[in-house]
Amino acid sequence: MYPPKIGYVIPDSIEEAIEFLEQHEDARPLAGGHSLIPALKLRIIRPSYIVEIRRFQQLNYVKREGNIYKIGALTTHYDMIKSNVPLLSDAAKTIGDPQVRNMGTIGGVVSHLDPAADYPASLIAMDAKVLIRSKKGQRLVDFKDFAKDMFTPDLNPGELVTEIQVPAFDGYKFSYQKLERRAGDYAIVGVAVLLKVNGSRVEDARIGLTAVNNVAVRAKGAEEELIGRELTEEVVEKASTRAMESANPTSDIRGSAEYKKKMVKVLVKRGINQALGGVRK
Amino acid sequence: MKIIDKDQKAKITLKVNGEVHEVEVEPRRLLVHVLRDLGYTSVHVGCDTSNCGACTVIMNGRSVKSCTVLAVEAEGADILTVEGLSKDGKLHPIQEAFWDNHGLQCGYCTPGMIMEAYWLLKENPNPSEEDIREGISGNLCRCTGYQNIVKAIKDASLRLNQKEYPRQ
Repeated sequence: MYPPKIGYVIPDSIEEAIEFLEQHEDARPLAGGHSLIPALKLRIIRPSYIVEIRRFQQLNYVKREGNIYKIGALTTHYDMIKSNVPLLSDAAKTIGDPQVRNMGTIGGVVSHLDPAADYPASLIAMDAKVLIRSKKGQRLVDFKDFAKDMFTPDLNPGELVTEIQVPAFDGYKFSYQKLERRAGDYAIVGVAVLLKVNGSRVEDARIGLTAVNNVAVRAKGAEEELIGRELTEEVVEKASTRAMESANPTSDIRGSAEYKKKMVKVLVKRGINQALGGVRK
Repeated sequence: MKIIDKDQKAKITLKVNGEVHEVEVEPRRLLVHVLRDLGYTSVHVGCDTSNCGACTVIMNGRSVKSCTVLAVEAEGADILTVEGLSKDGKLHPIQEAFWDNHGLQCGYCTPGMIMEAYWLLKENPNPSEEDIREGISGNLCRCTGYQNIVKAIKDASLRLNQKEYPRQ
């Protein structure tokens, strides 16, 4: 299956890439290509030009500055796994398969915004920010505002995601739980849990859900049930039940809406327990 | 900046198994097809949807599915296929291990399995059975002969960890 006829642009610098993308609204940047090339083959998109940005390896980095992790847009899932960023490194392990993780990038995931992608559960739970570059300069937006709808990022022509920023959440316990039926598939339900506990009392709770709405959401009801409470079995049960309030899944080949909603409860519970157990999976 | 229009061809250089090739390709041409046309027919087109892994090759040190890489994107890349594994008529230890453990049935997935095993063992020279199964999760064997493939990769890891590679 060939992609449709496309033009190909090899820019010498990120500035040139941005300039070309601004002048050609229907051109698309190529990072890892593991969503873009399948979409080309399926004729879901027919861009005039593909603009290669993959070679700008200066955008492949993970660094910690103060309390913030800064992640270059071209950081592959493979590199994310090695970088030990809370939640995101765990989520990276569950993406696709080894070959996909060798190519796919975090910037690609964020710009593509598949509703069932893995990172968004963590990004929303962590209050991630997205750094966007254009000819006019840079702007930093909250991921929750950036993800306007499925496959609909807040990106204008000539704008390129260059960095993702997440707070370090030192002292938090965390877990990413993914339900998948086939190895390497997208999530049926994905849950990211971040907990700050003092003894058995919960000081802060952040729970992100992916694949059960058009975009990733926080399970606010569940968080409310946890914050300020002693962690008993009853509290965990109540919180995971309330997580279902935040899920509005659709029925598809991966499962019925009803099933997915119930799985949200199961995975939130699992996530909380795993986070508390401190077992890194 | 280099712009290749959709009806133009780009001249690219690929180093495959140490041999340098210059080819002209349309921007939409996939790496898997270019490799096959160059004679590296171990690289199989299976599902053509980034699922099955039959097209797996090592590109610049990492395993990739060559059906999901544009040939233009691979410009200047160093590529390794199964054809490049054996040296002086002697099979690579991974190939020998697949042979000795009957790690193949119809053989269609085998080149992809071997290249993924190559990457897996480079990353993790002493994999557990679970590591191996996770490691080849991007490669499908429709004969479902996974048991012997897993055994072969484990055996290959032992052979590679020894200085010499004795046959069983």
